[in-house]
Amino acid sequence: MYGNKPADFENFWDDVDNDLAGISIAPEVEYIRMRSNNDADLYGVRITSVGPYRLFAYLSIPKGEGPFPAIYYVPKNGSVHEVIPQGTATGIRSRYVTFSVAGRGMRNSDKPYTAMYPGQLTDGLESADTYVYRGIIADALRGLEYLITRPEVDSTRIVAWGNDIAVLAAARRNEITHVVSTPAYLFDPVEHALKTSSYPLAEYSDYLRLYPDRKHDVESILSMYNTRWHAPEVKAETLLRADHSSGIYNPDVLSDLENGIAGNVTVHESERSGFKDGLFAEKWITEKLFGADATAIVPEHWRSAL
Amino acid sequence: MEVDRNYRCKVVKPDDFDEFWDGVLSDVNAIDLDPSMEKDDLRSNDEVDVYQVYYNSLDHVRISAWYSVPKGATGKLPAMIQLPGYQSDPPIAREWAAKGYACISVNPRGKVRSRTQFDPGYPGLLTYGIVDKNSYSYRGFYVDAWRAVDFLLSRPEVDGANIGAVGGSQGGGLAITISAMRKEVKAVSISAPYLCGYMDAIELTHAYPFHEINDYLHTHPERREDVENTVAYFDGISFADKIECAVILNVGLQDNVVPPETGYAVFDAIASNNKKFYEYDGHGHDAGRYMHDAIIDKFFEAELKGGN
Repeated sequence: MYGNKPADFENFWDDVDNDLAGISIAPEVEYIRMRSNNDADLYGVRITSVGPYRLFAYLSIPKGEGPFPAIYYVPKNGSVHEVIPQGTATGIRSRYVTFSVAGRGMRNSDKPYTAMYPGQLTDGLESADTYVYRGIIADALRGLEYLITRPEVDSTRIVAWGNDIAVLAAARRNEITHVVSTPAYLFDPVEHALKTSSYPLAEYSDYLRLYPDRKHDVESILSMYNTRWHAPEVKAETLLRADHSSGIYNPDVLSDLENGIAGNVTVHESERSGFKDGLFAEKWITEKLFGADATAIVPEHWRSAL
Repeated sequence: MEVDRNYRCKVVKPDDFDEFWDGVLSDVNAIDLDPSMEKDDLRSNDEVDVYQVYYNSLDHVRISAWYSVPKGATGKLPAMIQLPGYQSDPPIAREWAAKGYACISVNPRGKVRSRTQFDPGYPGLLTYGIVDKNSYSYRGFYVDAWRAVDFLLSRPEVDGANIGAVGGSQGGGLAITISAMRKEVKAVSISAPYLCGYMDAIELTHAYPFHEINDYLHTHPERREDVENTVAYFDGISFADKIECAVILNVGLQDNVVPPETGYAVFDAIASNNKKFYEYDGHGHDAGRYMHDAIIDKFFEAELKGGN
């Protein structure tokens, strides 16, 4: 067993929710002509998260009559803020509302805080209250709070898609009905960081190499974010995209997370192919939201495999 | 869709291609490199020392890079230039240093740590200034990468006769241009090369980042001819006949970001007689990385370290 759930875990996250509740979302929405097309309209959305901190998001709404299922691309550990992830068929914008939030520090949400990569993962790691992920998780929750105000969204079909933050968001907000998560840095983070020199997880091992006396404090802070402790609150149907058996977050390592999540869980072990792994995820979410007879919308070079 | 291995792209190399790039190089050569280097204790480890590097490039834009060297190395080191993807943040290439190379990982303009003077954003970089070759974003972006050679040549620990370049996706496109324009590059590994066959790619795939150009032309259809004229100066296929060094190039046949057809086309155009192509069926934009990494290692061992 990996330590214990922190005694003040619930209070910590209740405080985040209280901070959010005390700040108006204050949305501003602007049409973006260049990224709109015959399938969908794109909007730039500004909303306020804790701090207060002003965030930017891309909102794509299909043409035609809604409501539509929604894919919520939660903030990620990387500077670039995309409309939809690189390599995704743009045609999905005809089927789903897509919503992509730049968490604080990412491009488009980088004033006044501009994150570095690597660097972001240990910013403010001096205490649980100063750690930048307290704000970033709040940003993810705030994004969802805005998304569900949109009349175009089918509230029975909302997918959180991303890395560990997708799991945390689903744990804190039951409006998320499905999760597609690629665990990368918040499941037992210190234990696994010490096994790798690859980023982003290696940011923690870099930090502990320079500040070895802080290991206990870092473990304590990160335990608030450890998806292990959030898993029981995840009621959403979940796809965990695990590493190949040779990787850090392989299915064996993730078994506690898989078993801890309250909702139904599918674990897909990476086949070390972006094509095969991506196709599995696209087919999985299509089946869950539209039924087994529906066809996934995939890029041109994947279509022969449908 | 079935991949056409004999696919040929529409791009025609402009008659004044060399003149254009000679002019750009003349401009940048007038700017002092002025390199700076500071050890980064946070990113250094037991095997590798990591430095944050800065140097000047075209338009006096200050470019950042990560420079990694094996700790305690003596004598001249073979060197590697790691070139970044489009939307990913440039990596700290500690693994190359751990293998015995001095490695610079470049952050061209607009990337993290190089974006205070130029920052068209993502999406945005691919179409910024695309109506004219002199205003196009990649005019400076390419040169930023090429100047990594000058940085390496400024370092006493680097063996300037054994410099390699490696990259995937946009990094693969940059690897094509740097090996074409800098004869100091002795061997190049190109994976899933982006920025080749632009106008074909936007028809073969409808995924970002190439789709940025479709967005642009949807909004400005009257600018299509200008766009076609501009990208011909930046297309990897236009650079390929200048590549004379050792080359390996790999593609995934189910690549959802860079159409593999353009990989075949650029490989065919590469002038070098020492070139080898690898295709990976069942693979997307990873281009069979888990299998191909060992081939890359062996290639550079042979080309830069004299291994077998």
